[in-house]
Amino acid sequence: MTALLVLMFVLVAGTGAGVVLAREPRRQALAIAVNGVALSLLFVVLRAPDVAYSEIAVGAALVPLMFLAVLVSLKTDRPKQ
Amino acid sequence: MSFVPWATVAWLFAVGIYGVITSRHYVHLIGCLTVIQSATYITLLSVGYRFGSVAPIFHSRPPSTPAVDPVLQALVLTDIVVGATVTALLLALTLQVHKKRGTVNPERLRPMRQ
Amino acid sequence: MTRKVRLLVAALCALVSAPAIAVVIMHIPAFGRHPLPYGDAINHLAGAQRHVTNMVSAVNFDYRAFDTLGEELMLVAAVTGTLVLLRGRRGESLSDRAAQAGNRPVCERSEAVTLACRFFLPLITTFGIYVILHAQLTPGGGFQGGAIVASGTLLIYLGESYRLWRRLVRSRVLDMLEAAGALVLVLCGLGPMARGGAFLQNVLPLGQTGALLSGGLILVENAAVALAVTAGFILLLLEFLEETRATCEGKDP
Repeated sequence: MTALLVLMFVLVAGTGAGVVLAREPRRQALAIAVNGVALSLLFVVLRAPDVAYSEIAVGAALVPLMFLAVLVSLKTDRPKQ
Repeated sequence: MSFVPWATVAWLFAVGIYGVITSRHYVHLIGCLTVIQSATYITLLSVGYRFGSVAPIFHSRPPSTPAVDPVLQALVLTDIVVGATVTALLLALTLQVHKKRGTVNPERLRPMRQ
Repeated sequence: MTRKVRLLVAALCALVSAPAIAVVIMHIPAFGRHPLPYGDAINHLAGAQRHVTNMVSAVNFDYRAFDTLGEELMLVAAVTGTLVLLRGRRGESLSDRAAQAGNRPVCERSEAVTLACRFFLPLITTFGIYVILHAQLTPGGGFQGGAIVASGTLLIYLGESYRLWRRLVRSRVLDMLEAAGALVLVLCGLGPMARGGAFLQNVLPLGQTGALLSGGLILVENAAVALAVTAGFILLLLEFLEETRATCEGKDP
């Protein structure tokens, strides 16, 4: 059990907690991006390069952008009563 | 030290469920769901790991090199992409809820009563 | 139930399940020393049987292609659901300007952002296509490459205007591409049955290990998945960003 593996697991646990504890949704979108990068580094260390490709494209680019687009829509939308 | 992966998984799952329970904004709740999903990915990949082995790509290595399990990696990588589209569906539902009820606070949205 | 009651119930469940989780963690085979018979079999045999060098793609598109079919159809279903929800209630009176919230100032697009996006767009698109094409040789595949290409097209929106992006990526073409991806994957399953083989059996010539055209049916399935994933993600981004546009009341856009 190398130190690098333990460090990556602890890092992912920390960023995962950061996603939940970021209560404001705009800040949470950035926390999700950081969590995605940490997860993909963990997947590289666990010898899974395919999975790391998926996670970095999805978790660091696509999901935070969808979150931010939805937040903009929520702010500028006037609900029909 | 061999319990570190499983402890991380249990911690992420518990933190995600805590976030879902105490959330005050639906978009924040969906973010906590992605944390729970990542716990399952780490579980699968930690089961397939083997010390001192390489990735299961034998482009420049002989096929008898000890490698990690490719089946679990195949499961996880399709799951990540499909999980992102399901997250998109949940976000679209959040938009619809906001249009109909004017709020996205789970505490203020009770089930519809007749 | 109120928040306190929910937290109490959660704490009770955690208390009850904590001993069970601890027992499982202590008895699970040690991390790094699991017996992996299926994985070892695939690692040793798949190279000779299918002439590929990326075992993960071999599992995804050949040995467990049935699961990939299920995942792809799930993806198409989720994208369809999102599109129906978002397109259905929107109406046609949307302009190309971003919606304003209150009195916030509108920032001009900076030229550094435009330059960086123009520089990176061809690199990322080429890299995404490389990842898709080399599915059976090096780490890559339709799922990963599709996500990379889809996130690359976002750079057009970031660097240029929304109007140009909307005109370049047409949703009718993307609808057809996504449906074509799912259809080709299903035909890859039914095609071998027409010649007497099994569902999703690898009936195409396998080629030479290490060449770009190797693996037989893996190539076709990989291309189908890449089409569906790319088109699906770009459609999702289109719909979400269309929601942020302002409505034009009465004047022509």
